[in-house]
Amino acid sequence: MITWDQFIYFAVAAVLLWAVGAWAAWKGKTKLAFGTTGAGLLVFFSFIVMMWISLERPPLRTMGETRLWYSFFLPFAGIIVYSRWKYKWILTFSTILALVFICVNLLKPEIHSKALMPALQSPWFAPHVIVYMFCYAVLGAATVMAIYLLFFKKKTVTAEELEITDNLVYVGLAFMTVGMLFGALWAKEAWGHYWSWDPKETWAAITWFSYLIYIHYRRLPKGNQRLALWCLVVAFVLLQMCWWGINYLPSAQATSVHTYST
Amino acid sequence: MWNKPWKMKEGFAVGTGLIAVGMLLQLAVGPVAWGAFAWPINGVVMAAFVAVIALIYILRKRVYALMFLGTNYAAIPAMALAVVLTIVMGLTIQSAEGNWFSNMLSFWPFVLVYMLIALILGQVIINRALHFKWKRDIPFMLNHLGLFLAMTTATLGNADVQRLRMITTEGQPEWRAVAENGLVKTMPMSIELKKFIMETYDDGSPKRYASVIKIAEKSGKEFEATIDVNKPIVVDGWKIYQYGYDTSMGAESKISILEMVSDPWLPLVYAGIYMMLGGAVCMFVIGKKV
Repeated sequence: MITWDQFIYFAVAAVLLWAVGAWAAWKGKTKLAFGTTGAGLLVFFSFIVMMWISLERPPLRTMGETRLWYSFFLPFAGIIVYSRWKYKWILTFSTILALVFICVNLLKPEIHSKALMPALQSPWFAPHVIVYMFCYAVLGAATVMAIYLLFFKKKTVTAEELEITDNLVYVGLAFMTVGMLFGALWAKEAWGHYWSWDPKETWAAITWFSYLIYIHYRRLPKGNQRLALWCLVVAFVLLQMCWWGINYLPSAQATSVHTYST
Repeated sequence: MWNKPWKMKEGFAVGTGLIAVGMLLQLAVGPVAWGAFAWPINGVVMAAFVAVIALIYILRKRVYALMFLGTNYAAIPAMALAVVLTIVMGLTIQSAEGNWFSNMLSFWPFVLVYMLIALILGQVIINRALHFKWKRDIPFMLNHLGLFLAMTTATLGNADVQRLRMITTEGQPEWRAVAENGLVKTMPMSIELKKFIMETYDDGSPKRYASVIKIAEKSGKEFEATIDVNKPIVVDGWKIYQYGYDTSMGAESKISILEMVSDPWLPLVYAGIYMMLGGAVCMFVIGKKV
């Protein structure tokens, strides 16, 4: 039976493969980049699957478990973006971010008990969380791009670079919409109503509208580029509130049905 | 300010003005009395709202402010103000008895800002519908009309949602259920608990709880069913959920608490939700050209 103790071996192997993929992308070795990143994903996903089997439930309940998926989806989103738009930097970025989340999981492992309460036993559970994790990964990429353009790039921002952030936001928002609506459909089956303004839902709405603002703002004929990029940074901060910040909010702790800490 | 064409500044002015009006309303008449919107009032309000949207569209060439409502310069500030108010909501403990920020759903400025969003959605939807091009506008319509439909019908239909709890007991058919406000309602069916099922993990936490029940409808039709958490059944327009049990008895519980929900507006809300799901797929596939 696989346990959390074996995570480090899978993680090291996956990160090494992803790092080779990132290097290959810089060197323009497209095939190698695809091959190694894919292999890394396979290694990492096999750990997730084995955890799934040994826990007898999808590993999606605790923050540590969702970080596991996040670490998986970052390179996954990276490889999709790479295949679609051929940005050579994306795999480096996704590998570094995945590494950060892997390190968090290694240094701050949380209790991963087998128990999955009846409210979470639903066919909606996995798609709801997985789609959201993928969305967070893509929007994370968009945010890093925005921060790079805002603070690190010395020359003026090109239209092509803004096009990249736009594309990432469209993909991220599409997944966010699906995640949110899957959540609504699930809530109807589990709690009797599709939207109850539970703190998690409230923050999900905030986040969703924030990205809608970016998209609409970018459609203005003479928009301020820096303001648009700032909008992305703020939206991602709000997204953090929705993802884990509300666990520390007094307004949410007592009332949220989304806090499953047992 | 107020030089045509209006831009974002004017958009924010319109939105903040609306918030000010909302505050005055809050002071004058108190929080929004959503309970008063039960059928048929909500149907009338929905029809009136659509009529107002159409009227604004018709008058837009005569009144510049109405034309402005159909632009991104109106939409972006409206969304930004909605975000601000919703953040306040997210930071404040909410309660049905609360006032102002602590009961945001009944706070006039909050309601009016979301109404403004619906109004703007209405303008752009009509505009596109009248200049409809299939390939170009299908994703747009799925996203915008879907959101419009979902948010308006969910809000107005809420007063018609009935949520009742029924305590079923082994061997005793029960017809009555209790509403959230304590009123007892006789249901169109009786439910008898045949058996309460409880499974636990090694640590004693619940793994599964469910009720095997016998349902007898007024028509005389009788049948058995099992209701699990996350697996409600539908009988005669009522969705029946496993809600609770006698926690002091655990697996030996002789009662099971069921929740019964009726939401006549649900098909409209779901139509909106499924449109938005379709719109999201388009957004992913087509990207920026949506």
